[in-house]
Amino acid sequence: MSTATAAPDGRRTRPWAHLLVGRVTPLGEVLAGGRVATKALQIAVAVFLSVVLWRALYVGTSSQAGLDREQAVTYAVLGTVLVSTRFSASWLNGDTVLQRMQQGTILFWFLRPMSARRYYFVRGLGELGYAQVWLAVTVLVCLPLGVIQEPDPAMLPVFVVSLLLGNAIFYELNLVLDLLCFWTVMNQSAVQIMFFVQTLLSGGFAPLWFFPDWFRTVSLLLPFQGTLNVPVSIYVGRLPASQIAGSLALQVGWVVGLWLFNRWLWERASRRVTVQGG
Amino acid sequence: MTTHLVGTGSESAAQRFAAAWILALRITRLNLRARLEYRAEFLLTVLTGLVWQTSILVFASVLLVRFPGMGGWTSPQVLLIASMRMVSHALFILLFGRVLWITGLVQLGSIEAFLLRPLPVYRQVQLSMFSVNAIGDLLVAATLTTMAVTRFDLPWTPARVALLLAGLLGGLLVEAAVHTAISAFGLHLGGTVYWSNWTEELMATFGNYPLNILPKVAQAALTYVLPIAFLAYLPASLVTGQTQGRAVPGLVVALIPLVGLGAFVASRLFWNASLRRFQGVSG
Repeated sequence: MSTATAAPDGRRTRPWAHLLVGRVTPLGEVLAGGRVATKALQIAVAVFLSVVLWRALYVGTSSQAGLDREQAVTYAVLGTVLVSTRFSASWLNGDTVLQRMQQGTILFWFLRPMSARRYYFVRGLGELGYAQVWLAVTVLVCLPLGVIQEPDPAMLPVFVVSLLLGNAIFYELNLVLDLLCFWTVMNQSAVQIMFFVQTLLSGGFAPLWFFPDWFRTVSLLLPFQGTLNVPVSIYVGRLPASQIAGSLALQVGWVVGLWLFNRWLWERASRRVTVQGG
Repeated sequence: MTTHLVGTGSESAAQRFAAAWILALRITRLNLRARLEYRAEFLLTVLTGLVWQTSILVFASVLLVRFPGMGGWTSPQVLLIASMRMVSHALFILLFGRVLWITGLVQLGSIEAFLLRPLPVYRQVQLSMFSVNAIGDLLVAATLTTMAVTRFDLPWTPARVALLLAGLLGGLLVEAAVHTAISAFGLHLGGTVYWSNWTEELMATFGNYPLNILPKVAQAALTYVLPIAFLAYLPASLVTGQTQGRAVPGLVVALIPLVGLGAFVASRLFWNASLRRFQGVSG
């Protein structure tokens, strides 16, 4: 059975060939001079400063909000790496929806043999995959050095599943903003606001466990905490076992809900492509 | 009525200075009108400043509540550090913030156009757009400063007020110097945007605390490598008299406005030198 399909010009392409688009961001980062070294240095410094800050804060206390010093440091390190790697190089590479609209090249997204929706998805897959490599490297470096605590082996698969779901929510949230750009034309500020709100409400600035009850209640009603707080809390063992299934179900719910919403937006967005330049 | 944008050579230095400011204000007014063309985006950008500063503030407040008495500083004193950093940062965004967009201007080919006009390029960079988010920054900074000043646990003597103002000026100049120096690299390297974003994040994260809680090596790095300590912590130590664990001599701290001015002048000279080697990367 052949898996190849015929392209309009008669060439044979593999169905999985589209996935190669996902390499664009990682390759761009690796091949552009100094970006990987820059990122490595930035993560190393950010992790070092997070560790010394949280250790210093815990000097006079052994536990706060159910987190001991090692748990808080581990949470802070994982949160720092996730925040600093997830927001990708799309802007630098000139491949955001806003930049494409301003240049007029957004049109090509709808003229290629690959649909705009799939192109965006595969690019996102590559970018988030690249971010996970940084996370894995950080964990592999920090664990032997004793900077972060080891995860409970039984919880490790749960953490991985929750992290995948968190990345999916993150992807869908950013997709909402990019798709709204088809109506609002500009989305720079919305993207920045989303970054700050997402970082704050996901626990990227400080573990959500330290926040007042009302704040955590609000964050539970929103999708952001599923992007970081849930997986990281599972890793550090702070999320009670009785709440893990519910938290995972909530993550799945957000993924499905946002996916359906974005599917609806994509259909409408593709009917009203606006370009400003060209 | 005609306005002479380029000097005839016969005006005094004061007249040229005044003319330059009038021109800058006119361009700024036009930039503001241009940003107002996209009303929703304008409001969202104001909101961006508000949300960003508020989120940093929430983070700092949470740590203050959970971990009171940081490094011997009382909560109102830590609040003063946070408010001083916000004010100096908001002023930096308002007056010098466009250096953060230097890689974007290079990509758009704007620098080439600036080189052809009869105005200093650095000034044109600053006049290239209106930083709307500075409005949000200033709103939060003003609110926080009001809170910090009213809750401050020491009397506000004239000397202390003078130290506060001098510290704000120093913090503003140091931040401007750091970002101007980074943007000098941005004239040649697109990836510099990573560094400026990262530096801004570090300043926002670590500029709000008494840095004497950190180990000596981290404190030294945040003082002498990336001078975050000069933004608010060291000036606030002068206002509060908190010298416990401070890694910088009192005389240097007292001269922060001059240190900031020196750093800014040096960064501008470096920027000019970098501009002379500018080759352009856009099509």
